[in-house]
Amino acid sequence: MKKFLSLCILTLAFSASISFGGVRHFTFLYEAPTSARGSAELENWVTWKRTTDPERFDQVDFRHEIEYGVTDRFQVSVYLADWFYEADPEHSGFSYSDSAIELIYNLTNPVDDPIGLSVYGEIKAGDRLVELESKLIAQKNFGPLILVYNATLEAVWEGNDLIEREGEFSQVLGASYEISPPISVGVELLHEFVFPKWRDEENIRNLFVGPNVSYRSRNWFVTVTGLAQATDTEDEPDFQVRTIFGIGL
Amino acid sequence: MSRISKCEQFLELVSEMRRLVIFAIGLVCLVDFNSCGTTSFAPPPVTSELSRAGKGQHGDIAMLREGRTLFVSRCIECHTLPTVSQHSAREWPRLIDEMAGRANLKPAEREAVLAYILAVRTQ
Repeated sequence: MKKFLSLCILTLAFSASISFGGVRHFTFLYEAPTSARGSAELENWVTWKRTTDPERFDQVDFRHEIEYGVTDRFQVSVYLADWFYEADPEHSGFSYSDSAIELIYNLTNPVDDPIGLSVYGEIKAGDRLVELESKLIAQKNFGPLILVYNATLEAVWEGNDLIEREGEFSQVLGASYEISPPISVGVELLHEFVFPKWRDEENIRNLFVGPNVSYRSRNWFVTVTGLAQATDTEDEPDFQVRTIFGIGL
Repeated sequence: MSRISKCEQFLELVSEMRRLVIFAIGLVCLVDFNSCGTTSFAPPPVTSELSRAGKGQHGDIAMLREGRTLFVSRCIECHTLPTVSQHSAREWPRLIDEMAGRANLKPAEREAVLAYILAVRTQ
């Protein structure tokens, strides 16, 4: 834990010099443009989730991520740490979850081309957890309006000896409108299909929908999304609020 | 579980996914279709007419092309693209200076973006 805190402090202390990676207009979606070559950014994610079915349970997830533009089309990110705080009647406290590496390659431009496309790959490893994630990112900009669609396929191995397997397919749709140069508002819709043991017997479908707002300034931005569950799935959050705060390094 | 039942579940899943994808594509087409013939959201391409409109004072055609490429790729990392008429020719150099660091533009790239914007404004 001390090592982790030192790393965070060093990262924050380092965060006064290089240049900016890019602004997020969404928090549950990735956008097609990648960071400019040589630019770097520290992103801090906080996601609060409240579940009430079958019993009330709160969890706050944290992520600290560094993004770096290798070329104008290729971006690498490292999740220094994903960790969380959970609070339920029996147990509460902080736990480390995982770290990851993420690669995004941009194929086409959302302004000039009929549709802007990027492909995404992620490898995550943590405490009794290995996860592979791939994503297709599609985006189209219409003047001040940005429309984005993400299709994601995840494979998870967890538990002792990583014997528990799970698959997840999700698709997210988002719209964001720039009402003034620093402020955008929009909506995000998350549709999840979960396959425990890669089977569809439990038929787990979740639909979340909610608004977002994004504010950007010279060297930083903050984006907040609140999602409510439109389905009635047990053990899934009724509400979740995600905030991403990014700062140019 | 029988193969038929699995097949039914798979088809149901495909059907659900298809609905959202159709909705997404429909939304894009709707906005795209509405914009046809009214406003083109992409900045004007670099042509010899554009270069001539600036009477060469904003740079040659290669520089204007580079400026446009940077404008449509780097600027959208942070915000949507403004129309070039949104700001005056006097305001643009200051605005680009303010954002050049954020977009990681080198001095020559900054000049190319400015040249393109001013050439479009002059046209």
